[in-house]
Amino acid sequence: MTTRTKAQTEPILSARGIVNRFGKQVVHDKLSLEIVRGEIIGIAGGSGSGKSVLLKTLVGLHQPDAGEVLLNGKTIQSIGAAEKAAQIGVLFQQGALFSSLSVAQNIMLPMREHTALPANEQEQIAAMKLALAGLPADSGIKFPSALSGGMVKRAAFARALALDPKILFLDEPTSDLDPIAASGIDALIRQLNDSLGITVVIVTHDLTTLFTICGRIAVLVDRKITVDTADKLMKSDHPWIHEFFHGPRAEGAMKARNISHGN
Amino acid sequence: MTSVPANKQQASADPSRPTVVVSGDGDKLALAGALVIFTLAEARNSLKKWSKQGSSRSLDVARLDSLDTPGALFLCGLRDKGVELTGVRAEHRALLDLVCGLDLKPLPKVESVPRWRQIVIQLGKGAHDARHEALDVITFVGRAASWTVSAMIHPHSLRPASISRHVAETGIHALPIIGLMAVMIAVVIGYQGVAQLRPYGGEDFTINLVAVSVLREMGVLITAIMVAGRSGSAFTAEIGVMQTREEVDALKVMGIEPMQVLVVPRVIALVITLPLLTFVADIMGLIGGAAISQFLLDVSPTQYLTRLPRVVDGSDLFVGLFKAPIFAFFIACIGCMHGLRVSGSAESVGRETTRAVVKSIFLVLVLDAFFSILFEKLGV
Repeated sequence: MTTRTKAQTEPILSARGIVNRFGKQVVHDKLSLEIVRGEIIGIAGGSGSGKSVLLKTLVGLHQPDAGEVLLNGKTIQSIGAAEKAAQIGVLFQQGALFSSLSVAQNIMLPMREHTALPANEQEQIAAMKLALAGLPADSGIKFPSALSGGMVKRAAFARALALDPKILFLDEPTSDLDPIAASGIDALIRQLNDSLGITVVIVTHDLTTLFTICGRIAVLVDRKITVDTADKLMKSDHPWIHEFFHGPRAEGAMKARNISHGN
Repeated sequence: MTSVPANKQQASADPSRPTVVVSGDGDKLALAGALVIFTLAEARNSLKKWSKQGSSRSLDVARLDSLDTPGALFLCGLRDKGVELTGVRAEHRALLDLVCGLDLKPLPKVESVPRWRQIVIQLGKGAHDARHEALDVITFVGRAASWTVSAMIHPHSLRPASISRHVAETGIHALPIIGLMAVMIAVVIGYQGVAQLRPYGGEDFTINLVAVSVLREMGVLITAIMVAGRSGSAFTAEIGVMQTREEVDALKVMGIEPMQVLVVPRVIALVITLPLLTFVADIMGLIGGAAISQFLLDVSPTQYLTRLPRVVDGSDLFVGLFKAPIFAFFIACIGCMHGLRVSGSAESVGRETTRAVVKSIFLVLVLDAFFSILFEKLGV
């Protein structure tokens, strides 16, 4: 049991001394971030603060100008394609479902590439992922163009979960969704985290998501990152962070958090 | 059934790869290792026979280190068949409960239509679509013509800045490639002419062949095809992207007619540039003809120039240049029409661009055939 508790406190992913530059503009200046196994962490920041670049750096899509990203202690660039696919799932902002494939085929694509499972078994697993993501089985044969915004996100969730990744990156999972669909996605994230133990990293502007489901919040400000719980960040005296957590929208989101936490 | 090391070879080859081991005897078996999507096939194969045998079987999963959702689904399936799962770890119980609790229905099958019916359906659809396409083209060409004419009558509604930008983009930027293509086509015709006419001692007529075919047909045709591929497609893509970003709707809301600001300037610009480009292509084609004459026929450029007025006259040049603005009008109309047809998604931009290019080149060739017959009858 001791090994397990140790594994749980060890970071699953750590970024060290990340520097990202575009021309003369420095977006990230030696920022470091440790993501703990099993947590839900939110990454927040103003528009243009480099949230998306950070996300791309963390999943290994973008090579930083300096610094390194370690996944389970190995640099992300050195991890093989199949292993990376089994470790990391990404939900892109627009879903990024392949438009020429049906939803079920989208989910089965990584399985087809990386496992030797027969087709009928892949279909069975795809049906399960659809159910996990809260989609009816008949949406499996639909094509992405026939889905609503909320269903696209759920289908993209199902595909991101195809190989049961240990860490799931979500880029603006609730943007462009109506409040009911957005709350549904929040509940889904929490459920997946609870039952599957997936570590979740959410890049979002959505204060309700940040307050209600994220254990810690990483705020990207001044090219650095500040990580803490929402309660402690609220007491921060940094002007931007203060504004972010005390604006009129934040007040409403805090109410939602109090309701969902039952106090 | 004794110990079955399901994945021993791979395990020794790559220690980081997850493995599953089935052990035990008779009705009681035990799973150890990782029951995850990568080891599922092996676990299933090892347990295939066993899971179908008699009753009161049990599977011990206490030594299972990791379990994922496909693995849990597999265990749920076994449980449904009457296998008792023993020693389930606390951290796996929640996962098993979640997965077993899902109301799983198989994915519906897509209804497949027999091949022969597909062909019939496609033929019918094709005919139906062709009719609508034809009507659409006629309607759009008519609307574009009426808007262009009204812009000519009310010059204040013309947009000179937009027109000149399109003239530069469709004309000046296309000059190098069109000039090069015209020289090439003259060289091709020249070589073929010399090869075919030499046995009859008529290779000198290659000069006539190159000059007449370049001026009457090849100059304008090559230019029109090039412009359809280069500028017609650009019109579709530009307007299509505007359509996907709702810019066209924004124009309409502001009370600005897209036909007037998007289509008319492009039509006018192309009607201006295509004849000019054709003229350049004609000149370059004749220069290509001069080169061929020098190298294959030993006819010097000066001799070539003195022969030229005797083999071609103004009507040849006129026939080519006359067709250019008409082709231009249709290429621009088809390009804009498909751009405005783009609906929402980005992939429809690509689809409409392809259609626009195919349709405008097709139309250019149809019109050219029509003009060939017309001029033949008129004796021009």
